[in-house]
Amino acid sequence: MKLLTCPLNGPRNITEFSYGGEFHHAPDSRTCDTKRWVEYVFFHDNQAGNVLEWWCHTATSYWFLAERNTVTDTVLRTFPASELFKQRVDFATQESSAKNDK
Amino acid sequence: MVSASPEHHLRRSQLYRIHQSAGAYFEDQDGTLSVSQYAGNADELGQARRLGLADLSTLSRIGFKGHGAPAWLHTQGVLLPEQPNQTLLQTDGSLLLRLSAQEVLILRALHPASALITQLQNQVSSAAAQHAYVLPRADSHCWLALTGEYAAQTLAKICGVDMRLHKFAQGDVAQTSVARVNAIVTRYALEADTPCFYILCDVSLAEFLWVSLIDTMLEFGGQPIGLATLRQLQPTKPSSPS
Repeated sequence: MKLLTCPLNGPRNITEFSYGGEFHHAPDSRTCDTKRWVEYVFFHDNQAGNVLEWWCHTATSYWFLAERNTVTDTVLRTFPASELFKQRVDFATQESSAKNDK
Repeated sequence: MVSASPEHHLRRSQLYRIHQSAGAYFEDQDGTLSVSQYAGNADELGQARRLGLADLSTLSRIGFKGHGAPAWLHTQGVLLPEQPNQTLLQTDGSLLLRLSAQEVLILRALHPASALITQLQNQVSSAAAQHAYVLPRADSHCWLALTGEYAAQTLAKICGVDMRLHKFAQGDVAQTSVARVNAIVTRYALEADTPCFYILCDVSLAEFLWVSLIDTMLEFGGQPIGLATLRQLQPTKPSSPS
């Protein structure tokens, strides 16, 4: 059984995790064009080498990030999303202010 | 012994039919119904010390989550462990599990008169104002207690986390998979030489987990035990925080 280290819960069997896709910073949905948004939602780099990915520990619904080498399938490190996201992203406020702009 | 009837109680365990068929005697305490003990087991205390499984699902519990939760709980006189996945015994005997930096679960003591949960329930409106949101865990999770010297060996058959007593200390919490069910497991202090693991899982899977655990326990002669038996193994007053 493969093991993956959850930043909150420690090493756990890989069956306790779900893959959440490549990590990319989300473009601002209010200002970016449709092409850019479609690329963000549907397209993947599928890069050979070190990539950053979302993973979820399903027993706790805890989302975190993992740096993984896709050639050797080696996880280099895992870390909490709070290392990249320092403050809450409030989508509701963004949407309501966008409506007010119209 | 006269047994209360689960059919006439609103607050009963989801497992009550299984308990009935196993010969359970039910006791009514503050309007909630728990299994007191089972017929046909002359030495239930010895069973609990060897390997027993109790259903504590009708006992009260509560959770809080949110970035303001730790600070608000401090204002309520609640003791918090420094790190996630640790427990801390409260002054009234309740057990607090810190599930993450911003989430806690509080389980009442086995003996009556845990005041903390009632106190917190009465303050829920002030909690929300400080970004501490209540999680009504009493109906979302079932709560089981696995006791006895073979408890760790039983868990080793169905759980990937090493829960041998020298590896999984008193006060440790593991949020993991038990019999392929997402569960919260923690070690609780009964009398000194009787290990006890609390296991909580989603209530919709209570029946599956109960049957799976009973099946897993057969190898070691495990049997269900009642709350009255479990209480005999716990000191009335908590000696020190775990």
